[in-house]
Amino acid sequence: MAGKLRIGVAVKHGVDVVLTRADKATGLIALAGAPRKTSDFDKNAVEEAVRLRDKHGGVVTAISVGGPNAKEALREAVAIGADEAVLVTHDGWADWDTRAVGRLLAAASRTLGGFDLLVLGEGSTDHFSGILGPRVAGELGVASVAYARKITLENDLLLVEKDLEREVEVVAAHLPAVVSVGQEINTPRLPTFLQNLKASKKEVRVLAPEALGVDAATLRPSVVAERVRVPEVPRKLTTLTGATPEELAQRLREALASEGVLP
Amino acid sequence: MSDERVLCLSEEAGIAESLVRLARSLPLGAQGRVEALVLAGAPPGAADRLAGAGADGVTTVSGAESGDPQVVAAAVASVVESLTPTLLLTGSTKRGRELAGRLAGRLDLAVVTGATSITLAADRLTVERETLSGNAIATERVERRPALVAMLPGFDAPRAAPAASVTRAEHPAPVVAALVEVRERRPKPGGEVDVEKAERIVTIGRGLKRKEDLVLIEALARALHAEVGCTRPLAAEAGWLSDDHWIGLTGHRVHPKLYLAVGVSGAVQHLVGMRAAKVVVAVNKDPKAPIFAQSDYALVGDLYQIVPALTKALGG
Ligand SMILES: Cc1cc2nc3c(=O)[nH]c(=O)nc-3n(C[C@H](O)[C@H](O)[C@H](O)COP(=O)(O)OP(=O)(O)OC[C@H]3O[C@@H](n4cnc5c(N)ncnc54)[C@H](O)[C@@H]3O)c2cc1C
Ligand SMILES: Nc1ncnc2c1ncn2[C@@H]1O[C@H](COP(=O)(O)O)[C@@H](O)[C@H]1O
Repeated sequence: MAGKLRIGVAVKHGVDVVLTRADKATGLIALAGAPRKTSDFDKNAVEEAVRLRDKHGGVVTAISVGGPNAKEALREAVAIGADEAVLVTHDGWADWDTRAVGRLLAAASRTLGGFDLLVLGEGSTDHFSGILGPRVAGELGVASVAYARKITLENDLLLVEKDLEREVEVVAAHLPAVVSVGQEINTPRLPTFLQNLKASKKEVRVLAPEALGVDAATLRPSVVAERVRVPEVPRKLTTLTGATPEELAQRLREALASEGVLP
Repeated sequence: MSDERVLCLSEEAGIAESLVRLARSLPLGAQGRVEALVLAGAPPGAADRLAGAGADGVTTVSGAESGDPQVVAAAVASVVESLTPTLLLTGSTKRGRELAGRLAGRLDLAVVTGATSITLAADRLTVERETLSGNAIATERVERRPALVAMLPGFDAPRAAPAASVTRAEHPAPVVAALVEVRERRPKPGGEVDVEKAERIVTIGRGLKRKEDLVLIEALARALHAEVGCTRPLAAEAGWLSDDHWIGLTGHRVHPKLYLAVGVSGAVQHLVGMRAAKVVVAVNKDPKAPIFAQSDYALVGDLYQIVPALTKALGG
């Protein structure tokens, strides 16, 4: 690593899973025009990037691939502490797929001067392909570590605790590297009113794929969502009542006995 | 219709076998083939089991014994070059997704992870996958080949007869420098319960005020011959229970006959883990708690009064 540390952090302005409702009649969800917010783990990613910068010096650049309103996610990243914000977009924005986003993030990493460390969330709240970190690293040919729960940096050596289903691995890699983080790594700070105000005035650099050396025609979707539906699980929705907790318990006992689910 | 060549691989032996069975059940065409990969670390006899599961070819990769997904991806990429699969199948486990990403970046593949089913018809590959934090199912059309599909563990894998003849091959992995070095590996605490196999589960959420009060929940679980489950905050934040109790999007997905949720609000990320339960009962003091909209039986009230009464009533 030569000179100051350059950290990139990828933030997605994704569909707000909690506010999105399916059409009552069809059970289908229309993703176009759905309410959006910053993807959950990406706030952890920004927080981690900012903490590393505060400790080791350097610059944090937040990058989002999205439509014009993805600037909101970038401003949130700036409010948490990112130094710069870059939006990669194109006219008549429509969602790009994971392959396209991966290629654009890799291209951004190259053309913005090369990041020593690129931090992503390990999965986005809405799409959760959960592969973008390794995908970008695979394209760049640099080290990658997913599922990071703890990151330490000693000069250009990165030490990461990697959280797998049944075990924890401690791994080491030299920079440049790509790390994807989960929710357990930190608690993202809540920006103050002043930080939010300052962030809202921050200039966001807007770049087209061509400015990153990518021909937009090659970003045609490799995977297209035909429909999104909420699986309907019929439930009885019976409220049990009783004058006392004992009576209530008795009602439940009877109900469960008739369902045949008691031991 | 052109023929499909499917390459199946997973670091989990059981998933690898299920992938072969799944591939076998797809209409691959007259010359279609199911190939299976045996990677470093596979248990002895893995190649035979993959052949028994219905593979036409089993390739054992020698070398690439590394915790670095880059090294494994390089090995798989060289197999891809020689077998030229149209479709790669893997498991949507953490290691599976990490390898999938690495490979996809290297080979510029189309990828679908978290898949629950695959349909192949007249060259059209469509995949159903979980999306929106697991609360919706998306039907996605794959427009680029080769494609890599990572199946969510638990997918349907019908049994198939073994192929009439199975080709076996050894494939030496290319030598590549590791970029990541594994310094330490330690098992996670837990291993106390297997909620994924439990017939009855009593799940506790943040309605519980103190760790000591867990005894109330444990007593109820004993009375019901149930396992204890929990929401994310109790495992990940409070650390009152180990991760193997944690149910939901980022925890375990369960399918018990009875799911009793106590002091659980019913956040979307929790609901996805319990959707497959046959009967759901919720105890919550807030009549507006979202969990009630996903319940068969609602008990509105204070868990500190209701749980002891339930333990008594259900115990005998
Ligand atoms: C990316 C992501 C992944 C996540 N993954 C998961 C996951 O896998 N699993 C998971 O569970 N969560 C997950 N979460 C967290 C989830 O969003 C919720 O925060 C969490 O499920 C809430 O847990 P809870 O219901 O225990 O707590 P709360 O939401 O705080 O609910 C507590 C409930 O207890 C009730 N209560 C309080 N006191 C009493 C009493 N005395 N008697 C009766 N009822 C009482 C309250 O009315 C309330 O409804 C995830 C979140 C994100 C962002
Ligand atoms: N459109 C996007 N713009 C910037 N970063 C993204 C975008 N989509 C995904 N990411 C990053 O990739 C991570 C994993 O996303 P996903 O592959 O969708 O699960 C996210 O947590 C983000 O850090």
